[in-house]
Amino acid sequence: MRKSALVGWTLLAPSLLLLGGLVAYPILYNFWLSLFAKHAFLPAQTFVGLGNYRYFATDEEFWRSVRYGTIYAGSTIVFQLGLGVAAALLLNETFRGRGLLRGVVLFPYTIPTVVAVILWKWLLNDSYGLVDYVLVATGATRTPPAWLGKDYIMWSLIVTSVWQFFPFVVVTYLARLQTIPPELYEAATVDGAGAWRRFRHVTLPQTGAVLFVIVLLRGIWMFTKFDTVWLMAGEGGVSQYVRTLPVYAYERTFTYLQAGMGAALAVLMFGLLAGATAVYFGLFRDEEIVS
Amino acid sequence: MNRQTSRPRTPIRTPRSSRRQFLKGTTAAAAGLALLGRGPAVLGQQVRELQVWHTEVEPQTVKTIQEGAIAEFERRFPGFKVRQQPLAWGDLNTKLLAAIAAGSPPDLTHLNPFMTASLYTKGLLRPMDELIRALGEKEIHEATLKLQYFDGRYYGVTHAMGGIYIAERRDLREQKGLKPPQTYADLVNLAAALTEEGTRYGVTMPGEKLYIGFSFPAEWLASNGGSWVDPKTWRPRLASRAMVETLQFLRGMNRFMPPSWSGQKYLDTLAALATGKVAMAYLSGARTIGYIERYAPEGMRDPEHFQPMFRPHGPSGQTGVSALDGENWAVFTQSKYPQEAFEFLRIFYTRQHYMKYCHSVPIHLTPIFKSMIDDPEYLAHPRIRKWRSWHDAMITGLREHRFLPIGFSRPDDKLLPFLAELDGSGIVADMVIEAMVGGTDPEAAAVRAQQRAEELLTQLGFKRWS
Repeated sequence: MRKSALVGWTLLAPSLLLLGGLVAYPILYNFWLSLFAKHAFLPAQTFVGLGNYRYFATDEEFWRSVRYGTIYAGSTIVFQLGLGVAAALLLNETFRGRGLLRGVVLFPYTIPTVVAVILWKWLLNDSYGLVDYVLVATGATRTPPAWLGKDYIMWSLIVTSVWQFFPFVVVTYLARLQTIPPELYEAATVDGAGAWRRFRHVTLPQTGAVLFVIVLLRGIWMFTKFDTVWLMAGEGGVSQYVRTLPVYAYERTFTYLQAGMGAALAVLMFGLLAGATAVYFGLFRDEEIVS
Repeated sequence: MNRQTSRPRTPIRTPRSSRRQFLKGTTAAAAGLALLGRGPAVLGQQVRELQVWHTEVEPQTVKTIQEGAIAEFERRFPGFKVRQQPLAWGDLNTKLLAAIAAGSPPDLTHLNPFMTASLYTKGLLRPMDELIRALGEKEIHEATLKLQYFDGRYYGVTHAMGGIYIAERRDLREQKGLKPPQTYADLVNLAAALTEEGTRYGVTMPGEKLYIGFSFPAEWLASNGGSWVDPKTWRPRLASRAMVETLQFLRGMNRFMPPSWSGQKYLDTLAALATGKVAMAYLSGARTIGYIERYAPEGMRDPEHFQPMFRPHGPSGQTGVSALDGENWAVFTQSKYPQEAFEFLRIFYTRQHYMKYCHSVPIHLTPIFKSMIDDPEYLAHPRIRKWRSWHDAMITGLREHRFLPIGFSRPDDKLLPFLAELDGSGIVADMVIEAMVGGTDPEAAAVRAQQRAEELLTQLGFKRWS
């Protein structure tokens, strides 16, 4: 018995080492770092205990970044779901050119973020961008909107992100749609159900589990999204209107040069996400069980 | 269960080489590759690499350095290879700090003057008095000579100087019969007069944090009798009258700026000036000439249409001040080859190479040597001859003490060890944007920034006030 336990632990050791080294250690080290006032690059640090956390409890910038992060993540998830599910339903139908369209719809997800953002910034530029050019040329407006200015920067960011990430919803949702037995639709049709009722009573219940996972994953990914936000406005004066939590954590670490503060923000972000995930699991337990 | 099947068995092919042979082969190949990688060393010709980082990213400048100073250095020091690394201005600090933290900074680098004090106080820089004496202490322009002078020793030498101005459409201003602005109010009036609704805005400026959050505010403070901090206590002065008046002026100017200016980059603003979408670009140096020559309508690519103007001063100031773009060379205490780094600089500053270097972006790279600024050979460059008024503006600015290093609100800011952190924090950029486009009352925006800056300096351990 003891020998078999030893063999078990020996076999488990590589996985434990891997998980410990790549997951547990960085998280614990990050928490440890958050207890210090530490310069980002120079070997200067002082133990401050929970001082960094106390500071953020009353830091206006922190709460503002939580608010912007929630608006950004919430809006992009809603639009990605709406667009992604609609596109998946369409691509699940039979029509000529469906294969090609299925390939094309993936395109935004496959191009690098930096290219996607440069493309959208070019389209939305009010001096030489295509969007404003079309708006002015068609007489829709005389004064082109400043899409990258203070008033619209959040919307521009949301549009860019939705465009880039909705294909993930399409692919995942479409994969599940293709596994729904056609007999269910046939039976519903025989019972006199129209398109909407078939969707409401067959498709939705069948795809509840996959929607649960999509919302969970996309929620985590959008709340922690850094590259798109940073490339869109990170270095600009308007960055304060889209300064989400990951961007604020980056700034604290690499531009304020306060690594301890940055680590504390990362821990707080982790805590917020863990809390939100727990609530989400509590609210949608059924879908979780199905999944 | 019967393991026999009716299917005929295919004999399993054994590899021709054994495991031992495979291991032998792999080891030999790895050793061979390793030897190839260290070829020169193995052959007794160890190549040492002198790492040089700088901020002049224009391809012709990089080429000039490579074919001039580097080629000569490598001829004189056969065992050395110089690797130059051009870096954008904004990338330099972060990359440099990371390299210092890793214990492997470059042997020689450009440094923003506001970084120098911070690195000097940490004991990271080597003095270079001998080099300065060799170059000629009296020959180096006063505007740059003592920017890296601490406790009686020199810790840096400026590579070249470039003045910062407002670039204007001179023809448009003269059509309106207006003079170049002297005060904040003049500039707002000029911007109003040159704005034509739907076709042209009066003025624009880049919205990048680097400029609106650090470089410009330092100029505004200097032009309006203010400073970043109290010289004795280091308490920030962001809520001072000098800053609040400036924010009020900026708010006025914002009415004549493109609505999206805060999302625009420096080069966007130059393009807007060259193509006639704005009448003035608030940030301009001699590199603007390149944009004008490339993108302005033909027949307008000349100083009669495009001219530099000095910064105006505020109601509490006397003279408009702007930034002098000019990083200094620095050698770290951790540098691997410090002596060779100094030797490289001696070669870099020889007349033959330095003249070509300055000519690679004329006027933007104005020589630091007093004699060379007026040298007929230097002035004979076709671009300087054509755009002579831009060169003259540089000389006038130097004579009238209108320039301070980037991020300096007064000459003694070279002693402040936290300007890099203040720049990085974006606190000042937030203040400017809140007051200009966010609708926040300038005084309220300034008070908030003051509070944040005080918190930051306290956290960094620089609080000297009670």
